[in-house]
Amino acid sequence: MILAVLFANSEGNILVERFNGVPAEERLHWRSFLVKLGADNLKGVKNEELLVASHRSVYIVYTVLGDVSVYVVGKDEYDELALAEVIFVITSAVKDVCGKLPTERLFLDKYGRICLTLDEIIWKETVTFCVIANEHPFAFSSMDTAANVLPHPFS
Amino acid sequence: MAQPLVKKDDDRDDEVDYSPFLGIEKGAVLQEARVFNDPQLDPRRCSQVITKLLYLLNQGETFTKVEATEVFFAVTKLFQSRDMGLRRMVYVIIKELSPSADEVIIVTSSLMKDMTSKTDMYRANAIRVLCRITDGTLLTQIERYLKQAIVDKNPVVASAALVSGIHLLQTNPEIVKRWSNEVQEAVQSRAALVQFHALALLHQIRQNDRLAVNKLVSSLTRGSVRSPLAQCLLIRYTSQVIRESTNDTQTGDRPFYDFLEGCLRHKAEMVIFEAARAITELNGVTSRELTPAITVLQLFLSSSKPVLRFAAVRTLNKVAMSHPTAVTNCNIDMESLISDQNRSIATLAITTLLKTGNESSVDRLMKQITNFMSDIADEFKIVVVDAIRSLCLKFPLKHRSLMNFLSNILREEGGFEYKKAIVDSIVILIRDIPEAKESGLLHLCEFIEDCEFTYLSTQILHFLGIEGPKTSDPSKYIRYIYNRVHLENATVRAGAVSTLAKFGAMVDGLKPRIFVLLRRCLFDNDDEVRDRATLYLNTLGGDGAVVETDEGVKEFLFGSLDVPLVNLENSLKNYAFDINSVPKDVKTQPLAEKKATSKKPTGLGAPPPGPPSTVDAYEKLLSSIPEFASFGKLFKSSAPVELTEAETEYAVNVVKHIFDGHVVFQYNCRNTIPEQLLENVTVIVDASEAEEFAEVDSKPLRQLPYDSPGQTFVAFEKPEGVSAVGKFSNMLRFIVKEVDPSTGEAEDDGVEDEYQLEDLELVAADYMLKVGVSNFRNAWESMGVDFEHVDEYGLGPRDSLAEAVNAVINLLGMQPCEGTEVIPPNSRSHTCLLSGVYIGNVKVLVRLQFGLDGPKDVAMKLAVRSEDGTVSDAIHEIVASG
Repeated sequence: MILAVLFANSEGNILVERFNGVPAEERLHWRSFLVKLGADNLKGVKNEELLVASHRSVYIVYTVLGDVSVYVVGKDEYDELALAEVIFVITSAVKDVCGKLPTERLFLDKYGRICLTLDEIIWKETVTFCVIANEHPFAFSSMDTAANVLPHPFS
Repeated sequence: MAQPLVKKDDDRDDEVDYSPFLGIEKGAVLQEARVFNDPQLDPRRCSQVITKLLYLLNQGETFTKVEATEVFFAVTKLFQSRDMGLRRMVYVIIKELSPSADEVIIVTSSLMKDMTSKTDMYRANAIRVLCRITDGTLLTQIERYLKQAIVDKNPVVASAALVSGIHLLQTNPEIVKRWSNEVQEAVQSRAALVQFHALALLHQIRQNDRLAVNKLVSSLTRGSVRSPLAQCLLIRYTSQVIRESTNDTQTGDRPFYDFLEGCLRHKAEMVIFEAARAITELNGVTSRELTPAITVLQLFLSSSKPVLRFAAVRTLNKVAMSHPTAVTNCNIDMESLISDQNRSIATLAITTLLKTGNESSVDRLMKQITNFMSDIADEFKIVVVDAIRSLCLKFPLKHRSLMNFLSNILREEGGFEYKKAIVDSIVILIRDIPEAKESGLLHLCEFIEDCEFTYLSTQILHFLGIEGPKTSDPSKYIRYIYNRVHLENATVRAGAVSTLAKFGAMVDGLKPRIFVLLRRCLFDNDDEVRDRATLYLNTLGGDGAVVETDEGVKEFLFGSLDVPLVNLENSLKNYAFDINSVPKDVKTQPLAEKKATSKKPTGLGAPPPGPPSTVDAYEKLLSSIPEFASFGKLFKSSAPVELTEAETEYAVNVVKHIFDGHVVFQYNCRNTIPEQLLENVTVIVDASEAEEFAEVDSKPLRQLPYDSPGQTFVAFEKPEGVSAVGKFSNMLRFIVKEVDPSTGEAEDDGVEDEYQLEDLELVAADYMLKVGVSNFRNAWESMGVDFEHVDEYGLGPRDSLAEAVNAVINLLGMQPCEGTEVIPPNSRSHTCLLSGVYIGNVKVLVRLQFGLDGPKDVAMKLAVRSEDGTVSDAIHEIVASG
């Protein structure tokens, strides 16, 4: 399952977060862990270059997009490869909504649309489908390859 | 919603790039939400307000029930607007507000209208919202539309319906299963996205039908799958089919292997990985089958993308555990990954190399690792330490350099878990490699000189007490041990005193000096330390002279505690300080518990005064009955099971006595009516629902006067050594005689009467004795894997993890070990260790791993080890049928 999707600014402040199946008391741990992971590794990384980490049986794929860093956390069938697909859809969608690489201000200006897009990409713990929040809902050409990875049926 | 780490609003000093949500307040936003009620809706303004509401929710703000309801009702007005952007925001906020069942009704008709709208966007989103907030009754109303949506020509609408189906399958499986035809049609869709979702749903619908899955895989592997994601799913389903089928014995070919091998040449990397992983995980995979998979994984090791490198090295690491030689070819590529910037990749590379490396490469590897260890987290270090331990056991001749490495890292900074991993490794190496013993013990001694963890210090002291006296020069360890008495806390000091005593007992030459040291401990300010010193000075005897220590003393110091802790605790509570009086058998426990819980025990004949004698009493009682004397040794007696309600005329409970080939029910009866005398009391047992049991004997009770307990017995024969189960219905039959209250004399004539008792069940747990083990891990490892049986089970939705754990413990009737029956609050996973003796005196150990799968569903992995394979299987059968 996808445990979390998190956007943070360059100072490590959380902009958007969606947790699935993570108890409230563990979320703080995850926030600090992810932000620290980003602070340690994202300096000097190119936009959309994917980094990967694993923490116990959980996988994290993260990247930087303009002023914003994006983290996707998953486990079981959502391993590093599946998460790489997920984060690709998310970053493409955010770029599409913002029209370019987002600055923090631009990201917040487009906050509503980003929430909308995120909602349409990830449904609860499962990636559902990708509809980019522009006026051509099905314009995103690579969405079919980048969309959904479902729970491993026998995990 | 969670509290954010740092609220964005705290950044107020950056005036130029200020947040559009600067100064946002819930109260003000809720006021603004009144704009939803305007007769002339301003879509832009409304969208902004919804954005603010979403922002608040994302920042951890919560709405009260009243606030959420008000916002929800206001939002429903927005369905009047035809603005597409606003409508989509409305869908999102409805889901975020999670309206209650009675509120949902107000939007249902609007959403149903949207479901059939001409706008694709509305149809897709309305389906998602409806399926999120709907219940079973509404679902039947919209089922027709959902079925249409599955085969909708627009892929987004079709996918929305299919993914809804996947979610609804958890709550309303019988409805979703009716969509099978439409889903099958969607599998053939040209849209890759739809094909992928349809395949996933179709498999979930049919997952319990092995033949159907086989057919699905056979047809799709012929090449009609376009989506790489669907292809990945197909590979997983194929692996499942392969696992469940057998090889072609004539040619040795594995069904579908060619398909998997073909996928290694797919253009999508994720498919290649999925196929490679599937091949490496095949049961009994041969090196010929493995080679192509390893080759593609090797190529990915030098990929420029960290994700692919990580995936490749992770897979190879797994392969190295079972087929180290197959991975050897990748060693050169793997070595270059040790310096990878990504620490996860570097750690995996190192641990793989440690598994695949040969003896000559150990020193070179250790050099590389030393540089690497300083800049990784403890979590990674533990993995490396475990790998080094395995390597050392594989190449014992290299123990010197590996032990030095471990002792060096032991001196460095690190948390408890890390240090524990190192200490455990050194202890294992000392045990398994005799040449490593002396240097290893000295490393441990040096470590406790500056150890901040009490637990580790006491463990090491205990270990030193056992191994130290057997070395060539035991005296060199005394200084380290005695230093603890001066420098440490009371727990460690007490441990040190015990260790000193062990040296004194085992090394006669050291005894006088040990006596001097122990005498000094008599003035310690902690009573436990003083008590131990006094005890050991007295037990060792000889007044400090160089004399041989008595064998009994050695047994006392080194022997294991051969009584279960729970019994010891019970005895101590009863002030029974004589260790010999503590029962060694745990079968008294259920009765002891019963006694403690019921205020007024109605088990009249049963509960004897104290726990230690209960089973003996049963045994004595049964052996005194000639009819039962031939049944052999009593295996187990259950706790009394009440067969009547409290406060009834006749109180009856039953104790189930299990023998190898027989079962005896002991009915304990009490007559609570002063005016009655019961005679010739028997229990008529109907065993028609217990097919394997045949009644062989019944022993009636001649008289049952008022308030005086009595027992009647019924014996059954059952197949020998088999844990037969069944249900028995019981009827109390007796002759009732009136008693004159003034004289207490009964009338001569009585009337035959019957009294219906509750049914009695004989369950699998009745054949299991609760017998604990003091060290589960040791017991588990010494039992070995010969008769291990591991399987996974879904326990379905449960109130809590604790409820699921207790249900399984009760089902198996085994003794929880090491306090693992206690589940920490809010845990999402738990491991429970159980031990017991199964009928036929077969020792059984069980490791249960529970995990929450979704919000309530509990999944369980059950690993059973026993001395007999059939018993391991029987335990699984109990769980499967329970």
